Amino acid sequence: MKRLLRLPSLLRLTLLFLIALVFQNCSEPKIKESTDETLNITEYLRDNPDYSMFLELLDLTNYASFMNTYGTYTIFVPNNEAVQQYLNSVGATSLSEVPLLDLQNIAKLHILDKVVNTNSFNDGKIATPSLYGQFLITGAVNADDGSSITVNKSAKIVSPNIKLGNGVVHGIDQVLRVADKTLAQTIEEDPNLSLFTEVLKATGWYEKLNQPITYDDNNIGSYLTVLAQTNDVFNETKWKNPANNNEEITLNTLENLKLRYSKPVDPSKPADPTDLKDSLNLFVQYRILPGLNYMADIATKSSFETKAPLEVISARLSNDTILLNDDVFNGIREKGVAIVRNISDVTASNGVLHYVESNFNIKKRLPAPVYFDLCDQPEFKQNTAVYRVPGKWATYTDEQLSGITWEGKATTVTYTAGNTTAWRGDVIELLRLNSSYFTSITFDTPVIIKGRYKVWISFRTNTRSSASVRVLVNDMPMSRLINFREYYNSTIPERVYESQGYKTNLSPVDRNYCTRLVGIVEIPTTGRHKLKFERILDSSNGQTWIDVAEFRPVEMDQLYPRLQSGGDGLVP
Amino acid sequence: MQTKIKTILAIFILFVAASSCNDYLDLRPQDGIVRDEFWKTKEDVQAAVIGIYSSMLSSPPGVGDLTMTQYLFMHGELRGGMVTEGPNVTDDARDIMNTNVLPSNGLTDWGAFYRTINYCNTVIALAPAVRNEDPTFTQIQLNHFLSEALAIRAYLYFTLARTFKDVPLKLEPTLNDQDNFQLPTTPQNVVFDQVIEDLKLAEEYAVEDYGDVASNKGRITVYAINAMLADVYLWTEDYDQALIATTKVIDSNKYSLIDASNSWFNTVYARGNSSESIFEFQYTTANLGPFYNIFLQRPQFIAGPIVLEEVFGVDFDNPENADIRGVRASLVAGTNEIYKFTGLNNADRKALQDSDTHWFVYRYADVKLMRAEALARLGGINENIEQGQEALDIIEEIRLKREAIELTEMTVFPDNTSGILDYILAERAREFAFEGKRWYDLLRMARANDYERIDLLISNAIATAPPAQQQTIIAKLRDPNSHYLPINTFELFTNKALVQNPFYK
Repeated sequence: MKRLLRLPSLLRLTLLFLIALVFQNCSEPKIKESTDETLNITEYLRDNPDYSMFLELLDLTNYASFMNTYGTYTIFVPNNEAVQQYLNSVGATSLSEVPLLDLQNIAKLHILDKVVNTNSFNDGKIATPSLYGQFLITGAVNADDGSSITVNKSAKIVSPNIKLGNGVVHGIDQVLRVADKTLAQTIEEDPNLSLFTEVLKATGWYEKLNQPITYDDNNIGSYLTVLAQTNDVFNETKWKNPANNNEEITLNTLENLKLRYSKPVDPSKPADPTDLKDSLNLFVQYRILPGLNYMADIATKSSFETKAPLEVISARLSNDTILLNDDVFNGIREKGVAIVRNISDVTASNGVLHYVESNFNIKKRLPAPVYFDLCDQPEFKQNTAVYRVPGKWATYTDEQLSGITWEGKATTVTYTAGNTTAWRGDVIELLRLNSSYFTSITFDTPVIIKGRYKVWISFRTNTRSSASVRVLVNDMPMSRLINFREYYNSTIPERVYESQGYKTNLSPVDRNYCTRLVGIVEIPTTGRHKLKFERILDSSNGQTWIDVAEFRPVEMDQLYPRLQSGGDGLVP
Repeated sequence: MQTKIKTILAIFILFVAASSCNDYLDLRPQDGIVRDEFWKTKEDVQAAVIGIYSSMLSSPPGVGDLTMTQYLFMHGELRGGMVTEGPNVTDDARDIMNTNVLPSNGLTDWGAFYRTINYCNTVIALAPAVRNEDPTFTQIQLNHFLSEALAIRAYLYFTLARTFKDVPLKLEPTLNDQDNFQLPTTPQNVVFDQVIEDLKLAEEYAVEDYGDVASNKGRITVYAINAMLADVYLWTEDYDQALIATTKVIDSNKYSLIDASNSWFNTVYARGNSSESIFEFQYTTANLGPFYNIFLQRPQFIAGPIVLEEVFGVDFDNPENADIRGVRASLVAGTNEIYKFTGLNNADRKALQDSDTHWFVYRYADVKLMRAEALARLGGINENIEQGQEALDIIEEIRLKREAIELTEMTVFPDNTSGILDYILAERAREFAFEGKRWYDLLRMARANDYERIDLLISNAIATAPPAQQQTIIAKLRDPNSHYLPINTFELFTNKALVQNPFYK
């Protein structure tokens, strides 16, 4: 100690300081180990007594710990009132009385494994299926207490978008129920669909609609969409029987429907509605669409395949009504059939059910010629300062055009009304169909009825244009190439010239325009198709001007009527 | 020797001590002026008032939010159906277009509005005391400045109440941190009443003529105040008063509609401050507006598909026959680019460095059509055909001047009030395309008489909503609370006295 005291004062001070430092360091520092205080879903539910019953359900089904793991989940959480209501409806007093399997299915139905906020909801299904496999549908309703977003039509979202550590919670006021009935059972259960059910049974489709979902190699489910019609609709459907003095009958019994539709396929045998080629069977097939198509899907897609081979149904949103088969053919508007929106979108375990407002039949159409002016694009038409104003032109980028797409480094196509002798006085101009500009360009055609057609392409000749271009319809190459440098040869008689695959399609004839037959195409379905021009050789160093693509049925005269040069009409 | 060192040391310490009292120990900001030094002369007051205007043109340095014009454009147009998303649209803007607004949506930030309101409040509170300091500052000059601050504050509260419904009403400046920031919302009708009170006071104080065109169009005049009053009265359904306010503007004979010609677009929009203009935000080449960027360079918005064919109409047989407000005035046909704020004339756009097109708050045609609206309503209430006819005459006058085409003409009889209102609404869509008025016009017409015409909003949604969301949007719009934006989450977090609009709970 004495030695210590003998130390110089500075050293003593330092020692004291060091000792003090050592003592202070001995208290254990508190280091914050978590980076985020946000609760996970299960913790959040434990904190909120409003959701205690659903939490109990998660505990019972062992989903509680799962919902506390890291991940990106969306969970719809019914409040206690909702769970109590559910218990009342199944006649149980507590959750433990409900079979565990049911609870598990319910838990799985309420969970999605992606984060989905309410602002990505639409009028149809949520893109991600629930863990149960069934899709949830969203919408909105207006009631006395204001508007709310709904799930599966009836459950209102009361506290949306609660962001948590591992996903998002939407509080709802009803337990979502698993759709455990198949389409067939759902249809049979509705007394208004009794006749439709009879028809399904008579044609053998009842069993097919009663099958559970299967998944193919690509994991796509065998969902179906049924367009059902109620007894009232059948009551409204009249038919004049030509075999019985045009006596008018109402198609409201199975017998009358058989009389109307079911015809023997093989004349030697009696009519058999279960035969897939029987008309009554086709009547049903035409009302079944493969895939899961909710209202929102139908409103946004223009045509749908049906179970009837190669028959399609077109869909169109007119104001707020979805119309089926409401089409314009050759300038004539065909009135469509509306879907009854408020009762449709019925989810079944293997698909979805919609109701239609009136009876509809497969459209029987004969192939009709389509003269597709490539400049008939909505975006071109809107530009009235240029559209069909002689001498004017305008360029458009790929994004601006809904009906044209192309590959290659070209940035724009040109609409030009400078070629006043073309049909309607305009052509589409492509600068260089070669590998450094347009390697290919694809147009959406107008509706073409199924059948066999000869495809003619008319163009304005340019000796610097491409010498070999292939035409593809629906990606199927046509047999002949086009040489855009060829002039129309007026010395050869027109029928001889036609047999060589050339003609002029303008009247009066303009020798600067030539029309080339590129081949015969079998259009499989009535609808819009793709017409593609693809360069074969890099010969082009100038513009290519294309006027019209003609689809003339093979049995039709291929030369007449001609198209009016510089005008709208047809010249016989 | 010792004394000498001590003396030197003393002198040195004295020197350091004396000089150290200077700059670097001073706590006053070096890049601004504190309040005790400001508010001394009338020039200070004027600087503060001009500061209010420039805060509406662009955000102050260091503030990252959008300019007020962008908010005015988006609040007035996004839900109106006449604009649609361009390639560079933000998610927040798209959500508002689709009536899919969450309280976390960044565009529901009202900071830019309250910032300028605070500037106005400061002038209103501190300017009167300057008269004691500056003997050359007259009461009349003070009143003029007060009228500008009052009118701008009123217009901003009017806009907030039209956009958010119930908003906090703060009429005192926020001068220090001890202020109470926990303000509850004030009901929309009380806000409107306050707006009317402020505007009436402002009108008493207001300037008729500043002596130069730029100030007459860029600063608050008695006519700008009356235009605002007419607008507010239409919202409070006080049509007699709205009529009186429009009469004051029209009878001044200071404004006129310019005849249609090739230079009409250039005069009214590209150059601005025309005889049609009542109040405009004065962007200059030194202080450019946001439009070049959001409409042309990186387009966030383009005209909706209905605008060309259904709003302006297209005469396919004779393209020369066109509404002068349509193609190459409001939009570019084909590409649907919004042209009003970037065009120079009917053929060319402005260059980036020259894109100084103003933001048009009130134009003469607006006052005319507001008058027509008031007349139409009064004609219906009083069963007075003459007033209905007068309303139709105003519409006809504007259509003639603008060379509106026959296709957009409506045959309406003077006793058909809702028909006249539909016509006015359609005409306003053409006249004020993309000027931030469409949604407010729809909402004002729809909500009058206890939401008698909610069908206007529904049919607008049917015509313009994306097909996959149409039904949801319609169901939402049936709830009047959905017509207003939510209070931003951040505001709710910092101000516990606020109550969220029940639709967004």
